[in-house]
Amino acid sequence: MKRRFLLSSAICAISAAAFLSAADTPSRTRRHVEALASTKLEGRLAGSNGERLASDYLIAELRKMGARPLPGQKDFRLPFEFTAGTKDGGSTIALASEMPGGARALSFSDNGDVTGPVVFAGYGIVVPESQDFGYDSYATLDVKDKVVVVLRYFPEDADQKTRGILARYADLRYKAMAARQHGAKAMIVLTGPRSPNAGELAPITFDTALAGSGIVAISVTGAVGQALFASSGKTVEEAQKALDSANPHVAGFELPGVTAGVHAAVVREKRTGNNVVAYLPATVPATTLAKPWVAIGAHYDHLGHGEAGNTLADKADANKIHFGADDNASGSSAVLDIAATLARQPRRRNVLIGFWSGEELGLIGSAAFAAAPPLPLDALAAYLNFDMVGRMQDNKLTVQATGTSPAWAKLIEQTNIAAGFDLLLQTDPYQPTDVSTFNSSGVPCLSFFTGTHADYHKPSDTADKIDYEDLDRVADFAAAIVRRLEDGAEAPQFTKVEQQTQPGGGRAGTRVFTGTIPDYSTDVKGLLLSGVIGGGPAEQAGLRKGDIIVEISGQTIANIYDYTYALDVLKIGQPTKVIYVREGKRVETMLTPAARK
Amino acid sequence: MNFFRIAIVTLVLATPAFSQQPSGYQERDFLTRVRRLTVEGRRAGEGYWSPDGRRLVFQSEREPGNPFYQIYVLDLGSGETTRISPGLGKTTCAFFRPGTDEIEFASTHADPKSKQYQDDELAFRASGKERRYAWDYDPEMDIYAYNEKTKAMKRLTTARGYDAEGSYSPDGQWIVFTSMRDAYNRTLTDAEKKQLETDPSYFAEIYIMRADGSGQKRLTTAVGYDGGPFFTQDGKKIVWRRFDEKGLIADVWMMNPDGTDQRQITDFGSMSWAPYMHPSGQYIIFASNKLGFENFELFMVDTEGKKEPVRVTYSDGFDGLPVPSPDGKQLAWTSSRSGGAAGQLFLAQWNHEKALEAIRNAPPRKSSKK
Repeated sequence: MKRRFLLSSAICAISAAAFLSAADTPSRTRRHVEALASTKLEGRLAGSNGERLASDYLIAELRKMGARPLPGQKDFRLPFEFTAGTKDGGSTIALASEMPGGARALSFSDNGDVTGPVVFAGYGIVVPESQDFGYDSYATLDVKDKVVVVLRYFPEDADQKTRGILARYADLRYKAMAARQHGAKAMIVLTGPRSPNAGELAPITFDTALAGSGIVAISVTGAVGQALFASSGKTVEEAQKALDSANPHVAGFELPGVTAGVHAAVVREKRTGNNVVAYLPATVPATTLAKPWVAIGAHYDHLGHGEAGNTLADKADANKIHFGADDNASGSSAVLDIAATLARQPRRRNVLIGFWSGEELGLIGSAAFAAAPPLPLDALAAYLNFDMVGRMQDNKLTVQATGTSPAWAKLIEQTNIAAGFDLLLQTDPYQPTDVSTFNSSGVPCLSFFTGTHADYHKPSDTADKIDYEDLDRVADFAAAIVRRLEDGAEAPQFTKVEQQTQPGGGRAGTRVFTGTIPDYSTDVKGLLLSGVIGGGPAEQAGLRKGDIIVEISGQTIANIYDYTYALDVLKIGQPTKVIYVREGKRVETMLTPAARK
Repeated sequence: MNFFRIAIVTLVLATPAFSQQPSGYQERDFLTRVRRLTVEGRRAGEGYWSPDGRRLVFQSEREPGNPFYQIYVLDLGSGETTRISPGLGKTTCAFFRPGTDEIEFASTHADPKSKQYQDDELAFRASGKERRYAWDYDPEMDIYAYNEKTKAMKRLTTARGYDAEGSYSPDGQWIVFTSMRDAYNRTLTDAEKKQLETDPSYFAEIYIMRADGSGQKRLTTAVGYDGGPFFTQDGKKIVWRRFDEKGLIADVWMMNPDGTDQRQITDFGSMSWAPYMHPSGQYIIFASNKLGFENFELFMVDTEGKKEPVRVTYSDGFDGLPVPSPDGKQLAWTSSRSGGAAGQLFLAQWNHEKALEAIRNAPPRKSSKK
């Protein structure tokens, strides 16, 4: 419990009055957090019943304060579709005859039926030439229009260093891309008898917002494996053992006389999430304000019962309700409270109030909003984001994205004199929260954050651990900033911040820097850019937000994974051809990758 | 970092890291509700209170055309900040004159080369090069009094050599300040000339004058940098810091306003500077790099210097230039605790009772000489 001082000087008298009222009156934000982080709302997973109930609560509160649906909208809810999960839809494999229970689709497989001769391609690993390592499972094989069989994982007996390299290219997605690029029609994955999970089907992994990877891909049982190898004169184990030293000269081989019929069916479960968006109309007749809107927002979704695999809980707790009191009932409550404050005051600008869903699955909700905005985003003077603002330590408040406008420093300094936080400022707007979406749209923005903690993404992030007094203070501080933004005749100027590191989604170990910001929330074929980094190679190559990269350095790109794998092939400083689609047309450009800092 | 009412010392020598016994206290025992006051600009610091405790005057690099400090008044009620210095050249060390609308500070704006220096520094920064931050003791620095009502500026010193680090007596009648005029108003020996080139602060001494600039009188004569003087709350003493001849070790001293009864308060074997008397008159808060050459922390010591100083701050980076509010319940200071090398102005609630208790419990002073 923080101690309060009664102070004598005038400035302090003001603060003292504020302290007293804080101590005597209940927190304004507490009831919001307790409602949103309650058991009934089951962790507010995007697209779930809990999300629905949470949106009901938000809408009821918005109605109470007199907020309205956005102009031209009938409803506060703005729905968006996303892929919530994948399951097998009855995939099969037939050799001489169908082998029941022998196959399961990989989560990224295209749906379809493929029949063809079969080639065993070892571990199916291709290490890019740039690695100067020399390992290519396809070096001596012709797999064009054939079905390839590859072993799961990577050579079991290789030394540590070799494993370290091969492991980077052993992901099943990477293997599927290699197979596709060598012209194979389908890829069959077999978990070898010398590997863990021998003979078992590969599980369908959780996979959001992505379409197929451009090839039919299944895993098969050990029994199917035996049948495939029956005519080859070798057992699967013998074939695997020969490969397991990682000797690059051990090649795969055709499986003579075998024809496989592969039926792959992946059911992608589409769900609908709901952003909740409202506004408070300006009360003072707007004269000629260039940007007549100010926006505040927070994501209100969380992890549900940990279904999406992004829980940090121990196995025993991973399926429990993740209440998400700090992440992000706290931010949602701050937005409700700020909006309620602003609703009682005269306003020179319209105030947009956004509650985003699908943030935890990859900023899906805010990205959907920005992709088809109900009002032009360049009408927004600024966007203020709140994500995890309920666990203040030692009066420290982090304000992120301050580099997005030269106006922020003065505004924050002035406002904080009364608010009195020990501010930590981060210029970087490329944060793992919805502020990133608005930065990409060229809106000056800020994001408020009180720091991470041991309960982050665990069921123990509960309402009783929230520091409500300081949560109220954060709301007051931000409301005062919004007031100043509303009152200013000028809107803050937007400054593009150059990014220091690439956003999440890229794999550890990728060394090249291209300056693209992938959109993780769509299922277009190719890589849709939600932005490019100021001054980065992509911007210099003429790429921009909305472009879809479909080929890079001769490799076709069907999705983000293809793209990250393709990056491994690129050489720093060496121009490479990039083909992208803009407004339906294929455009070619040269991009020179830089070294990642 | 900020070396004004201190002025340091571009040498980088490791001060022997004297170990200090843990006091059993932590920062939050003395400082609570730490808040960052300045955000704008590259750096800010040296915040001094108005007598009514409603405002602070401070220096900050925050204007596009000028890479040097200018003087600003921060209204703690409204959050508004107003520049009161001319905007041209370098400034430092401002102080409210009690009972008047005047604020004194030191400035180089009368130097015709001021604009050129600004442009040169901006060009240097634009080139991407970096140098260690160092205060340059500009010999064109003179003390001015600015009137907030009339906006008039009155020049109080004219001597060649750095005149700065001024502060008023509680009755507003006197200014105690630092001057390096001794390096210019007599013929220097060859050794002294060399000294002036490498470290002019060697010549710095404490002076006193009337608030109108008349009656300028030298108070100290010891070799080494004497600087950063402030009156105590009752106006009966001056507290300042004295460097040794080499400019590496500094300690807190006190004397009468006429220069008599000069007494060493600390013997801390480190660079101890920026002393300021708490308004209770019971202890002095100061900064020291006792714990490592670049790790300045705040300490406090009883006015007789009988006890070992007690550590106040426990944060990474620079903490210095402590100034208690007139009611003694808050502390303004300069810190780089929010990251980066440059300081910003901070404010916290000050726990006077805990401070007294910690000083009472402190062990007797050890000597730095073994």
